[in-house]
Amino acid sequence: MAAVHGDAHGHGHDDHHPSGIMRWITTTNHKDIGTMYLWFSFAMFLTGGTLALGIRAELFQPGIQILQPELFNQFTTLHGLIMVFGAIMPAFVGFANWQVPLMIGAPDMAFARMNNWSFWLLPVAATLLVSSFFVPGGAAAGGWTFYPPLSTQGGLGVDLMIFAVHILGASSIMGSINIITTILNMRAPGMTLMKMPMFVWTWLITAYLLVLVMPVLAGVVTMLLTDRHFGTSFFNAAGGGDPVMFQHIFWFFGHPEVYIMILPSFGIVSEVIPTFSRKPLFGYASMVYATASIAILSCVVWAHHMFTAGMPTVGQLFFMYATMLIAVPTGVKVFNWTATMWQGSMSFETPMLFAIGFIFLFVIGGFSGVICAIVPIDIQVQDTYYVIAHFHYVLVSGSLFALFAGAYYWIPKWTGRMYNETLGKWHFWLSMFFFNLTFFVQHFLGLAGMPRRIPDYNLQFADFNMVSSIGAFGFGLTQLLFLYVMISCIRSGEKAPQNPWDGATTLEWTHLPTPAPYHSFEKPPVVK
Amino acid sequence: MTAESKKGARILQIAKAVIFAFMGIRKKSDLEQDAATLKPSELIIGGIIGAIIFVVSIILIVRMVVS
Ligand code: HEM
Ligand SMILES: [Cu+2]
Repeated sequence: MAAVHGDAHGHGHDDHHPSGIMRWITTTNHKDIGTMYLWFSFAMFLTGGTLALGIRAELFQPGIQILQPELFNQFTTLHGLIMVFGAIMPAFVGFANWQVPLMIGAPDMAFARMNNWSFWLLPVAATLLVSSFFVPGGAAAGGWTFYPPLSTQGGLGVDLMIFAVHILGASSIMGSINIITTILNMRAPGMTLMKMPMFVWTWLITAYLLVLVMPVLAGVVTMLLTDRHFGTSFFNAAGGGDPVMFQHIFWFFGHPEVYIMILPSFGIVSEVIPTFSRKPLFGYASMVYATASIAILSCVVWAHHMFTAGMPTVGQLFFMYATMLIAVPTGVKVFNWTATMWQGSMSFETPMLFAIGFIFLFVIGGFSGVICAIVPIDIQVQDTYYVIAHFHYVLVSGSLFALFAGAYYWIPKWTGRMYNETLGKWHFWLSMFFFNLTFFVQHFLGLAGMPRRIPDYNLQFADFNMVSSIGAFGFGLTQLLFLYVMISCIRSGEKAPQNPWDGATTLEWTHLPTPAPYHSFEKPPVVK
Repeated sequence: MTAESKKGARILQIAKAVIFAFMGIRKKSDLEQDAATLKPSELIIGGIIGAIIFVVSIILIVRMVVS
């Protein structure tokens, strides 16, 4: 293929890097680092998943059987922290590392050494989080949102958590600066901003959001730290501080954070849907504009998490209206994906199944979000399982399903081998079934008043909880199937053709051999 | 066209781009025109001003509703 670059030049360089473990410790190659990000996040996904199964095992029946309340609270807290900061966010950065240079025709990330450093901070933070279970007093137990006063009262575990969050924040900021610089400065000739694939666009905007809000998180955990150890009273009412101020600062980070976790998955879905519909993305321009405006508007809705914390009616109405309006650009995106599929010649390989599953279930999560945004309803459902159901629909069947779609879509490019399509489809359908079994019933539990973060519950909640726990164990086991599919693909999958998806039009498929060589685009491609 | 009216047309185009962005809708041809004529910094400043206008108008509506 005349269009294929990189291979011929690539071989000479391959020998330069050390072999064995030192290859991974010292690597500055975006593909190596991307691979490490992805494996790390999958390991964290299994860790957080194990904690979730502990939670669901305890909630299988009313009464306390397995986890004492103190330990149960540590499980819920660390489940949330590990999934958000250890699994979902690093997984998206892993995709960015692999795909952004390939999709814009760049040879590597802009700051290759900093890239290595951003990754290697992560295992340190993960070790802090996991080891906090074994210190006196155990891990942090105040929820992943670590509201004071619980978080000012906890033991050493809370300090470890604060330190871990600092480190993770530093890693995210470095990663984002790297992504922004790469996208703005290293695009191939002819790859104008408005020709960039949607995945690159969504990551550019996400990276700006990260740079904006991670320092806010770092600030708020530092304030917690000084409240705990250095005699300040930012959040201590007895010293003239205000615990509700913590919530405002936290959610000023927290709501943009949820969009940080969904925008890159919008990007992945916007690549997968056109490929398998064999049509260009409908409304590319709208998508770019909608993503940008979601990013800006997501900074003015934070207090919808605090409707019951006490605020004037004017404040409640403001955040209610603003939140509902932000659902409009989100809805436009769903419309565009649907329109992309309209009259396309669709085929339903595993990536497409996950992308369609994403659209379907994300819409449910979006609607339950709008319901939570209605103040009189939220006063009823705040801190119940309804909220749990809402955010698992947007995070598991949203972010995670999109990550699965992306993994199946790009694994042939990464490894040069095909995954097993039959098993991939099983993975999808089992995930779909067990996911809904686990979380759909939680809407009913929440509406009936079951509070979140409790190890025990009243008898009337028993049946739905049992259903949910069965679903959770099924979902957990299904993910081992994903691990199996991926490992057997890497080890012994069939050789992938140059372009296994005939609808794929982005640079990594049209201008690079499969698998992508270790060094690609040393000579930039020319984009017309 | 005088320099004044050119400037006015430019601001109008930024405003249009921002309003359409908030709704999440933009025609391909308009996007290409935006990309060709507007600078990113102009769009970002426009977006921030748009966000401020958005916030102020919701506050006004809320005031009206509760008064
Ligand atoms: C259509 C857009 C959305 C709307 C209108 C919306 C609205 C809301 C509201 C009002 C709450 C607070 C509920 C309460 O605590 O009583 C909430 C909670 C939450 N949302 Fe959303 N949401 C939307 C999309 C998303 C997305 C895309 C994500 C993440 C990918 C997300 C993740 C979360 C999380 C994690 C929480 C719970 C935080 C906690 O208290 O632990 N939401 N959402
Ligand atoms: Cu929110």
